[in-house]
Amino acid sequence: MTAALVAPAAAWLVVFLVLPFVAMLVFAFGERAPEGGYQPAFTFAQFANLPTRATAFWNTLMLAPAGALLCLLVAYPTAYYLAVKANPRFRLILVSLVVVPFWTSLLVRTYAWMYILGSRGIPNLLSMIGIEDVRLLNTPGAVLLGIVYGYLPLMIMPIYVSLEKLDRRLLEASADLGAKPASTFFGVTLPLSLPGVMTGVALVTILLLGEYLIPQLLGGGKVFFIGNALVDLFLQSRNWPFGSAIAVTLVAVVVVVLMVAMRIAWKVAGTRQVDLV
Amino acid sequence: MRAFISSVYLFLYAPIALVVLFSFNAGRNASEFSGFSTAWYGKALGNSFLVSALQNSLMIAFTSAALAAVFGTMAALGMERLGPRMRALFDALLAAAIVVPGVVIGIATLVALVALFSFVNPALASLWPGERPPQLGLGYGSIIAAHGLFSMALVTMIVKARIASLGRDIVEASSDLYATPLTTFRLIVLPQILPSILAGFLLAFTFSFDDFIIAFFVAGSKTTLPIYVFASIRRGVTPEINAIATMVLAASLALILSARLLIREKKSKSGE
Amino acid sequence: MTKWYRENAPITAVKLADELMRLKRGSVTRRHFLGVTGLGFATAVLARQPGLFNSTAFAGDLGSQMSIATWPNYHDPATFEAFTAATGVAVEVNVFGSNEEMLAKLQAGGTGWDLFVPTNYTISTYAKLGLIDELDMSQLPNYDPSTQNARFTHEGMVDGKTYAVPKNWGTTGIAVNSSKIKAPVSSWKDFFEVAMTEADGRTMVHDYQLTTIGNALVSLGYSFNSIKSDELAKAEELLIRVKPHLYAINSDYQPAMRATDAWMTMCWTNDGAQLNRDMPEIAYVLGKDGGEIWTDFYAIPKSAANKPAGYALLNYLMAPENAVKEHIANGAPTTDSRVLKLLPEEVTSNKIVYPDEASLTPLEFGAAVTLTDPGRAELMARFKAA
Repeated sequence: MTAALVAPAAAWLVVFLVLPFVAMLVFAFGERAPEGGYQPAFTFAQFANLPTRATAFWNTLMLAPAGALLCLLVAYPTAYYLAVKANPRFRLILVSLVVVPFWTSLLVRTYAWMYILGSRGIPNLLSMIGIEDVRLLNTPGAVLLGIVYGYLPLMIMPIYVSLEKLDRRLLEASADLGAKPASTFFGVTLPLSLPGVMTGVALVTILLLGEYLIPQLLGGGKVFFIGNALVDLFLQSRNWPFGSAIAVTLVAVVVVVLMVAMRIAWKVAGTRQVDLV
Repeated sequence: MRAFISSVYLFLYAPIALVVLFSFNAGRNASEFSGFSTAWYGKALGNSFLVSALQNSLMIAFTSAALAAVFGTMAALGMERLGPRMRALFDALLAAAIVVPGVVIGIATLVALVALFSFVNPALASLWPGERPPQLGLGYGSIIAAHGLFSMALVTMIVKARIASLGRDIVEASSDLYATPLTTFRLIVLPQILPSILAGFLLAFTFSFDDFIIAFFVAGSKTTLPIYVFASIRRGVTPEINAIATMVLAASLALILSARLLIREKKSKSGE
Repeated sequence: MTKWYRENAPITAVKLADELMRLKRGSVTRRHFLGVTGLGFATAVLARQPGLFNSTAFAGDLGSQMSIATWPNYHDPATFEAFTAATGVAVEVNVFGSNEEMLAKLQAGGTGWDLFVPTNYTISTYAKLGLIDELDMSQLPNYDPSTQNARFTHEGMVDGKTYAVPKNWGTTGIAVNSSKIKAPVSSWKDFFEVAMTEADGRTMVHDYQLTTIGNALVSLGYSFNSIKSDELAKAEELLIRVKPHLYAINSDYQPAMRATDAWMTMCWTNDGAQLNRDMPEIAYVLGKDGGEIWTDFYAIPKSAANKPAGYALLNYLMAPENAVKEHIANGAPTTDSRVLKLLPEEVTSNKIVYPDEASLTPLEFGAAVTLTDPGRAELMARFKAA
């Protein structure tokens, strides 16, 4: 009975997760065929070549947490407002409105940003007040903006949930005991919402480590994440073995980041009850 | 604070407003507004490639989410009774399915399937009695499988958390009263976990419907809506794309609203 | 020929009589009559292959959909609309930024393309890898090798077999917005210098190895097609130095040039002609130190799902009266003397489209080896990831 229940899921995991990963691992030790693709071999050359992508790894490891933190800066006040300050009558609507953008294709919305940041958008408005030739599109700033835009709802929701669970009587008690609003916030609200913050930051960072679309569309092929390097290796250089080696390395990086995040989360929250995924 | 919140909502909605606005553009270009028109809605619905991309996306999202909901729920129920070792392994695989980046899932699936087909297709050809042996290839199946992987892990996680929060006592009470396991499941457990399953299904559907990068690698000759949109960003976006995006948005808003109303009606009927 | 196509339903006896009367009255030309009645097609086939009556050229079921993989801004959308109106086959247009990407897609399998547009230097590799078939010339009565300029068409032949037929030829030059950039740009050396100075943050290079690396090589005084590792190392050094100053690495530069987000770009003839037509301040310059001359071909992938439609569209595009419309719309020079004759004076005298022979002399055709050379592929990937 138990076996029958878990069998389909187990089979799925084995066939479409474990096997592909094993195949990729095998490929990572192979060679690029003369015309591109893969040919069997056993070599560490692909892994030895990894340092040539150091910049892309470095960019990713910098921009992903930076994007997540930027996201947090916008998301926290928003979630706080929604959970604590907002008129309860409109709260549900306001919260739903945070999620609704997910129902339009991220691609289409990012394309809209290409327009807003391109010459006909904001730079055009700026030139009306005499600031000429401003360039926004295809810069790291544009990519960061796209990231904050795309992942904001994912950051707001966990923080909102943790703040909403907050017992309001604690805040009142704190105020009754003469605490200033600021010290109530830093002494009570912030620590209690940390699990949500941790979840959000870890979630967004991990998703960003594999990001491809936003740097592709808003970075003009210049701001390169490791995801872009990966796609490039499969779609331009047709170097499957090296691409596989990078993919394997990326997974390793994700696992390490995840473990570090868990460690920090446990320490900060002082409990092991943090769900990251 | 107010000003800040308003600007956050402006930030979230300005691009969407722009998308909707340009869907009513009379001009051919999605970057210069040259008058109001609804013509692009008709053109979008008359464009057989766009419509079939939309149909493909809906079909793939529904199938992968439905399979994920069924198998994921089964797994969540079964995992409870697994030994601790197996359970830990299962948990690790599920977590991996969720955190491994989509771009890696796409590439790994492609690599593995291409390798697999290079063995299977010649074998099929040599064993096949008829004239034209079936050829396995990338297509609907590979997209559904790759999307279903993430979705199933997601559903399992959500439903498992819900089961863990259920009291064991009512299940035990039910079996003490000689209910069969199936009856207990149907009458006691299922109603309690159903909202989680539905939530998982919806998340899975949304994920699959909006996914570009996995499908980009494993779609073969099939086109999903995001793949179509990505291709049209390259060849120059016409307001057709805006029209389709607006229609999808409107349809999902209508669905959310009607679901809300339905729940409210149910609640008022049951006297809550 | 193609008129026959446009009304490709079998003609009825009544209509035949009707058309015959119109021909007699002189209200239609003989050409139209032959076209409408299908006789033109039949005679053409007969002339080519005596005795072959039951040609499957257009007789087969063309299906309702087909797909073509091509380049940005490379076709007149009206062409496909007309083809669809004539045959009932809707054409899906997939746009790519590089031959390398087309090859990668075909190698991975399952592209669904029924026709695609590879460039001269790739054909032999496609043939060698078995990704394209020898063309069945009996299905392409509109293609006439005797009217083609052999200088541009020989790379469509591999071992004496025709694997691809030419779409058009062209060059890869520099498009410069002269209202933004005052410094003279007449060579690839100038291009990379201006990219780091006056056009800082406003320059685009292609998103594939051949031209981006090739033009960097040319600017350093090396061959466009070099695969020597010391020369490539110098080109890489230059490209990495230029990269922080670029606006984008993208082969679809028209939108950015039109919006004046970008002021200068590596540019193909057809894009140069289109940009200059709509914005005269954008000039198109050939590098006097060298660069690329190319021919784009049509080929049919072995994996094509709807080959009859692929052939039908190819044959349609080969008809001079259709090719000339495409030419006027996209500005890419033709390899076919029949098309050349139909062109208006303003096109043939356009120096962007038909430059002086002298300016073509320093240019080189891309060499097949660059497509598969691992050094160039990896250099490009490193440049983009840097």
